[in-house]
Amino acid sequence: MKRIFEVALGILAAIGGFVDIGDIVFNTAAGATFGYGLLWVVVLGVGGIITYSEMCGRVAAVSKQPVFDAVRERLGLGTGLVALVAAQIVNLMTLAAEVGGIALVLQLLSGLPYRALILLGVLALAVVIWVLPFGWIERVFGYVGLCLLVFAVAAIKLHPDWGEVAKGFVPHVSTESPLVYGYFAVGLLGAAMTPYEVYFYSSGAVEEGWTPKDLGINKANAIIGYGLGGFLSFALMITAGALFLPLGIEPELLGTVALGAEIPLGQIGLILALVGTLFAVGGAAIDTCFSGAYNLAQFLGWEWGKYRGGAGAPRFTITWLVLLALGFCIVMTGIDPIMLTEYSVIFSVVALPFTYIPILLTANDKSHMGRYANGRVANTLGIFYLLVILAVSLSAIPLMLLTNMGQG
Amino acid sequence: MSTSGELDLAYGVLDHQLVDSEGRRCGKVDEIELEGKAGAELRVTALLVGPGAWRGRLSGPFAWFAGRLFARKVIRVPWDVVESVEAAVHLGKTASELGLGRDDDRWRKRIARVPGS
Amino acid sequence: MEEANREGPRLVTRLSELLDRQVVTESGRSLGRAFDVRGRWSGNGVRVTALVVGRRGFLERLGIGSSRGERRRHHKTWKHDTVPWEAVLRLQDGRIVIRDGTECE
Repeated sequence: MKRIFEVALGILAAIGGFVDIGDIVFNTAAGATFGYGLLWVVVLGVGGIITYSEMCGRVAAVSKQPVFDAVRERLGLGTGLVALVAAQIVNLMTLAAEVGGIALVLQLLSGLPYRALILLGVLALAVVIWVLPFGWIERVFGYVGLCLLVFAVAAIKLHPDWGEVAKGFVPHVSTESPLVYGYFAVGLLGAAMTPYEVYFYSSGAVEEGWTPKDLGINKANAIIGYGLGGFLSFALMITAGALFLPLGIEPELLGTVALGAEIPLGQIGLILALVGTLFAVGGAAIDTCFSGAYNLAQFLGWEWGKYRGGAGAPRFTITWLVLLALGFCIVMTGIDPIMLTEYSVIFSVVALPFTYIPILLTANDKSHMGRYANGRVANTLGIFYLLVILAVSLSAIPLMLLTNMGQG
Repeated sequence: MSTSGELDLAYGVLDHQLVDSEGRRCGKVDEIELEGKAGAELRVTALLVGPGAWRGRLSGPFAWFAGRLFARKVIRVPWDVVESVEAAVHLGKTASELGLGRDDDRWRKRIARVPGS
Repeated sequence: MEEANREGPRLVTRLSELLDRQVVTESGRSLGRAFDVRGRWSGNGVRVTALVVGRRGFLERLGIGSSRGERRRHHKTWKHDTVPWEAVLRLQDGRIVIRDGTECE
């Protein structure tokens, strides 16, 4: 019974932890531009993150190898270093975007000046990371992030044309403006499969001391947790499609996104949307901050992990502090967090193959994985998604330039 | 299994994580030292750890950057100390005994002063 | 490691000095590159027994198409292109020169 309860709590945290600022921005923008027409892309993306999270969680549980351990081992020093640099740049951009998102939401909630709230947000994050144990961080932010379910209620209240919604789940390509459609499709895939999610997921599995006994939890978290997390994405897109598309609003501000809950549900909807966003984005800020430190430490062989305590893994601790400070500096320049989000998502797509290829190889290595190595299903899905990712990563930058970031 | 049979050095040892006798992560196998003769006996004598060990493996701009950024330090871990080779390479002595993880040790004292660490 | 040969003095070298080197016979036939060095545990140490040679390059480095891990576990009689270390004559001009008539096992 206790076990089931634990599993359920893990799943809840995974649902709440699925959405970050990239998902919020791209799902809402896609809904406001193409209605429900891109829902199927979210399904595709969620399938990808499930496939690779399950794989890297399994590797972490069996051979105790997190992602960048595998990157260095499989790609070697030179290519691995390219992967590391690319990952760290994208990760820092994502971290900065999340920090900016926190400040934007705090501003909507309090009305205080933006830059002061950046400082407040970063200090709050630092204290939370320093003081709370790993499991708590993940849970607290995951659970409160579930407030975003308010968008599911909003979506229903807005009475979308469910027939049209259903059609959106059928893969198709818009003929109206295929390039912009393509750009949003790439963005949605990138947002669903953000690389930091697998860095964090696999390192988190080591943090929590997973063993092959926990492979059930791994499957449940990845499949059910991220699967249901995808529902939050659907809700955001359907809300935007039902509300913003007919009005011709392009939601370029987080406040506009929250309107999607306020208009059908009133003040309570607005507050739930903002609190949910704050914790979803705050949790993602912590995840990205840790991910950057995990990656560097794992590549260079340093001791790492929140479970070692601040002094138990000194260079890891310093790295996340430095990354948080860098994120702070980037946002303080006044760069628009929403634009930063778009760039970070598109660039993350380009860097994704570097992350996914080593995971796939390690999960297939029977000398480390034994009978837990990839089976036929995991390999079929893994290779399918690798091909998708390769195609998408090659087209990401051209699409971004051709469409002027989705402006058409 | 781990101390018998065959072993592919690049695939199975190079770039793997080092873990000391107390379970502490203490560097990567940045390079492997071999001693012997061409065509005659050639034995693995040590694992080399540190920027001075991996720098030589890089080329192009990375090699240049590494040359500027890092010291030439190399720590030699005699192969006799290797207990087993799995996903990580497990060592039979502590990192401090082997001179590994010195930078972590240096920072540890400073961080330990902050409450809550 | 330049010009090192079996009559010469004992040499101390690094693994990366052998990796990615072209493997050629005395008469100049190329067998591809050494993408790994195979050793065998003997006593407490590891003795180099062979060079793992191939033409697929990067894929080999990644472990694709060689299924080395699998072979070790299942003791299949699966074979890879290897050149026994005894056949190595010298390291010359950045290439590994092996005895004529050595075929890949």
